[in-house]
Amino acid sequence: MRLDLSLGLILVLLAALAPVATNDYQLSFLLQLLLMVALAQSWNLISGMTGYVSFGHAVFFGVGAYTGALLLVAGHSWWAAVGWAALIATALALPIGLLTLRLHGPYFAIAMLGLNEVGRTVATLWVDLTEGGDGIALSPALLPALETNYYATLFLAVLATLAIGVVLGTRFGLELQAIREDEGAAEMVGVNTTRDKVIAFAASAVIPGAAGAVYAYYTSFIDPLSVFLPALNIQMVAMVLLGGRGTLWGPVIGVVIVMSVRELTWAEFPTLHLALLGALMILVILFLPEGILSVLRKRRGPGSTRLAEECRQQGE
Amino acid sequence: MDLLQPAILLQLAIGGLLAGALYALLASGLNLVFGVMRVINLAHGELMIAGAFLAWLLYSLLGLHPLLALPVAMVVLYILGFYLQRLLIERIVGRDELTSLLVTYGLSIILMNVGLLVFSADFRAVPALQGAVYLEDLDLVLSKPRAVAGIVSIVLTAGVYWFLKHSRTGKAIRAVSEHAEVAMICGIDVTRIRMVTFGLAAAMAGAAGVMLTTIYSFSPETGADFVLKCFAIIVIGGMGNFVGALLGGLLLGLAEAFVSGFLSTQWAEAVAYLLLVLVLILRPAGLLGKADAA
Repeated sequence: MRLDLSLGLILVLLAALAPVATNDYQLSFLLQLLLMVALAQSWNLISGMTGYVSFGHAVFFGVGAYTGALLLVAGHSWWAAVGWAALIATALALPIGLLTLRLHGPYFAIAMLGLNEVGRTVATLWVDLTEGGDGIALSPALLPALETNYYATLFLAVLATLAIGVVLGTRFGLELQAIREDEGAAEMVGVNTTRDKVIAFAASAVIPGAAGAVYAYYTSFIDPLSVFLPALNIQMVAMVLLGGRGTLWGPVIGVVIVMSVRELTWAEFPTLHLALLGALMILVILFLPEGILSVLRKRRGPGSTRLAEECRQQGE
Repeated sequence: MDLLQPAILLQLAIGGLLAGALYALLASGLNLVFGVMRVINLAHGELMIAGAFLAWLLYSLLGLHPLLALPVAMVVLYILGFYLQRLLIERIVGRDELTSLLVTYGLSIILMNVGLLVFSADFRAVPALQGAVYLEDLDLVLSKPRAVAGIVSIVLTAGVYWFLKHSRTGKAIRAVSEHAEVAMICGIDVTRIRMVTFGLAAAMAGAAGVMLTTIYSFSPETGADFVLKCFAIIVIGGMGNFVGALLGGLLLGLAEAFVSGFLSTQWAEAVAYLLLVLVLILRPAGLLGKADAA
């Protein structure tokens, strides 16, 4: 725990000082990296912890991006707009969660699979609100500076990681992991599984909503395809699986790996990059189901998921 | 235009059933795989698109008619499915559904993006069957490619149904679907049956893909739309239930035809998803069907 905390503090300190030592291109890369950390940790909260895989989490990012952009245009300050984006994404997640999380995992996954497409279709067809396929261009006068966006993203990434750290140490976190290991048994010992899942799901939409808004300010232009982005769903799943689902640092490691692969292949072969992610995903699931972190952890002794490991061993 | 005229309703119904037959062909394959090995194959749509590109290649390189490409694509996809099962899917049989979802999700991402790399995101079609026939007695216009695609789909789905019902291998497939261990005790080579099943499902998807080329334009990304419709269909019809998939497919085709007739084609695209969500709300427990018993 203390190790996690000091490691976290060092990383945050380094990230906070980064704008001094980097040019705009490097800072942009770091911003995208932190954005992915924020998204991956949010996905980790529902899918990594409970095993309920959301294939459509980009929908909350897209809703947040549109909320943030439209409110900024309407004259709100950027930070108020970010707050509203988080709120609206969460308000949307709540009924969706109530509806789909009563079902067994595969049904939830299937229902989420199409949700991002629904979001994109609505954004395309509701022209009066969203300008449809033309997208929304934000005037530079309204936009916060790159450094401001960077610090906002850093804040979200820290918040999302902190949330995982806190949840892992509480009864709620154990309940979520119990749902992943054996939902029927969790129910039997008195865990209100539906309530827990819905809370985790709604909470997992907060930061993607806010991050969508910050992303809109960062790129200054959004359209349905750029924010309801299927590749974003793939990346979220791949990053968390690679690093280790349901762990504190796994998603961060996953993000660094995926973003590095992206830097190496993105410019020339965006599709090759995704194909590689697909292959990595299969290999990890088959041969390293606990993610890369589990290999490191075996060498170093148990980490923050010790309790879950113990429960699992007792179960076997 | 008065949409409630019997002639127009009939027109919409026939069009819907023909489109639904194609869905049924695709969804029955998906459901067959789920029934036999409890694997939800998210890459099923990409297998369909593989069939579509095969037909497109055969047409544009050799001028082969899609109806002649049909058996070729089915054989190629059967072999592909057979070995996919052997190399990859067999490893996840018996593991939790999450694992199978994630592995087949990875597979679909690979297939789609390799498709994009090789064929680009351009939309293509095979203009082999064109035109329409006017049936005077019924006051009905039938688009030729849609009619042919619908009829081929019905024949193939019925053929597979007959195969499952009456052939020795088909009976073995059903036995494994009902209880793999008992089937094994009875001397059925369960591993081989799973390979045959996945091959058969891939061949059905490939056939659907070949017929697709004559009625829709498609790209490597089209598979994802269809696989979502397939899930709606098998959730409606009951997971693992072959006949359920057939009925669910026809139902979705009809619903889409009427929605696009009365509202717009864009709304029709949302029908599958709305139906899926509606069924999930109204009958969540009843829908688990065989999946729950496993």
